[in-house]
Amino acid sequence: MKAKLPETGLKALEAETDERLLIEAAQRDPRRFGELYENNFDHVYAFVVSRVFDRAEAEDLTAEVFHQALRNLAQFEWRGAPFIAWLLRIASNKIAERWQHSSRRPEVSGGELDEAGESDGIERRVMLAQLVDDLPADQRLVVMRRFLEQRSIRDIAAELGRSEGAVKQLQFRALQSLRNRMGERK
Amino acid sequence: MSAEIIYEELDSAIETMLQDRATVTRRLDPSVGELLLLAGDLRCVPSPDFRARLRSELDDAARQYAAGVVQHQPRRPALVALPGAAPKQLRREEILPTLFGAGYGTYPVHRSNFLVSAVLHACALVLVLSSSVWLARHPQEVKQRVVSLVGGLSDYPLPVSKQKAGGGGGGGDRDKLAASHGTTPPFAREQITPPAIVIRNNNSKLTAEPTVVGPPQIKLPQSAMLGDPWSRIPAPFSNGPGSGGGIGSGTGGGVGIGAGPGAGPGSGGGYGGGIYRVGGAVTAPWVLYDPDPEYSEEARQAKYQGTVILWVVIGPDGRAHDIRVSRALGMGLDEKAIAAVRNWRFQPAEKDGHPVAVQVNVEVNFRLY
Repeated sequence: MKAKLPETGLKALEAETDERLLIEAAQRDPRRFGELYENNFDHVYAFVVSRVFDRAEAEDLTAEVFHQALRNLAQFEWRGAPFIAWLLRIASNKIAERWQHSSRRPEVSGGELDEAGESDGIERRVMLAQLVDDLPADQRLVVMRRFLEQRSIRDIAAELGRSEGAVKQLQFRALQSLRNRMGERK
Repeated sequence: MSAEIIYEELDSAIETMLQDRATVTRRLDPSVGELLLLAGDLRCVPSPDFRARLRSELDDAARQYAAGVVQHQPRRPALVALPGAAPKQLRREEILPTLFGAGYGTYPVHRSNFLVSAVLHACALVLVLSSSVWLARHPQEVKQRVVSLVGGLSDYPLPVSKQKAGGGGGGGDRDKLAASHGTTPPFAREQITPPAIVIRNNNSKLTAEPTVVGPPQIKLPQSAMLGDPWSRIPAPFSNGPGSGGGIGSGTGGGVGIGAGPGAGPGSGGGYGGGIYRVGGAVTAPWVLYDPDPEYSEEARQAKYQGTVILWVVIGPDGRAHDIRVSRALGMGLDEKAIAAVRNWRFQPAEKDGHPVAVQVNVEVNFRLY
């Protein structure tokens, strides 16, 4: 008779099994790598951007990490550690390699070096990236234009054909909504 | 606060943050501050365009891998040669996987690191072997280089020798002032020139290094300033009131209070000094300041009393050194006796008018009244 696992333990076991099956499938057929990419992209990007503090550089490094992971996927051996650990190890090496070849090294404050705090920050960014996708279309557009592209309120208002006040209100509502949903998830 | 004002305040703070100003200096409404933190994190959210573009690139690459256009990084070859595998290549990767980078797709491989490591190891090996050969061929030189090491010169007495010990020397040029402080010159088997702080003849025809007579293997601390290490007077410079050349108040071309060409108390050369016993020409020290020892709580409750006898060296400085328990009482009273005697001050013992170290037994009485 099988022992009954607790619900959370069962879910973790199922997730682990799913991931293992996905990896094995991608090792047999590299075209299945896309699913692994979708599952892990947010984590890898949040990890990289928390270290390099530059969007262009973070995008370059993230792309290199996934290309290398795809290239070396056949070498990956399942040893119980999640796939993300392997990806983050590649990312760490890439970042270290880049710092070695560059005289510039980003300033890292004492708080950023705290491992627990850094892990929380990465989790928060992953959650935020997922919640932005769930925003209503107009709010999502304002967030993208304002924070990712760093455009002015006037430009966004002109693009949307709305007043600056209305865009500021949309910006406020989007941030408020994100804050509330993050609070609910915690 | 009306909604419009909050929108304005938030947008103004966001604008400041986006322009990369380090801090928002204005005082913000708490709810606005919280949203501003969130806005800061939103700058790091990945762009959907980038995400989609990268996915597309990876899909293309994956299709090429699947079609065999681009080779996957192969697995590390098995230890047993597979049928058809090139045996020479397999052998190389088994032996030096680091150099050939087998299975190192995850980590960057720098061959230069391997070469630097190999060169350093080779150098270390050569150094070890050459030093071993040199040691084997020069045993005599090695033996001669073993010297006695003497710590800093001070007026702290040397430990008692179980065999007969002696030596010492002294000097001076009948100056009215006491010799000034400094270090002794090096030891030599023969003395050509006695040491001097104040050079009386600056036009010597033949010069030689000043030395004191003693075993040359003993290396004493040296400095540019010669003088009497037992003296506490830094200046004015003087060779001391002794006679026969040298430094100090003794005689015979040495340093210190003794007689002869050596250093320290005693006579006949060498390094003198040590612990005397009271009697003969050595006077007994006496106590100047002797605060009562504390009673331990344990002994007080047990109403325990008695006498602790301590073996003590009273130095020329009038302090107790090298305190050992000769007869113990226990119940914490031995430690209390040592602590008390360490604070006592003595008039030091004297020999020939100079303070010397002597070994005495001190009784510490513990009585309850």
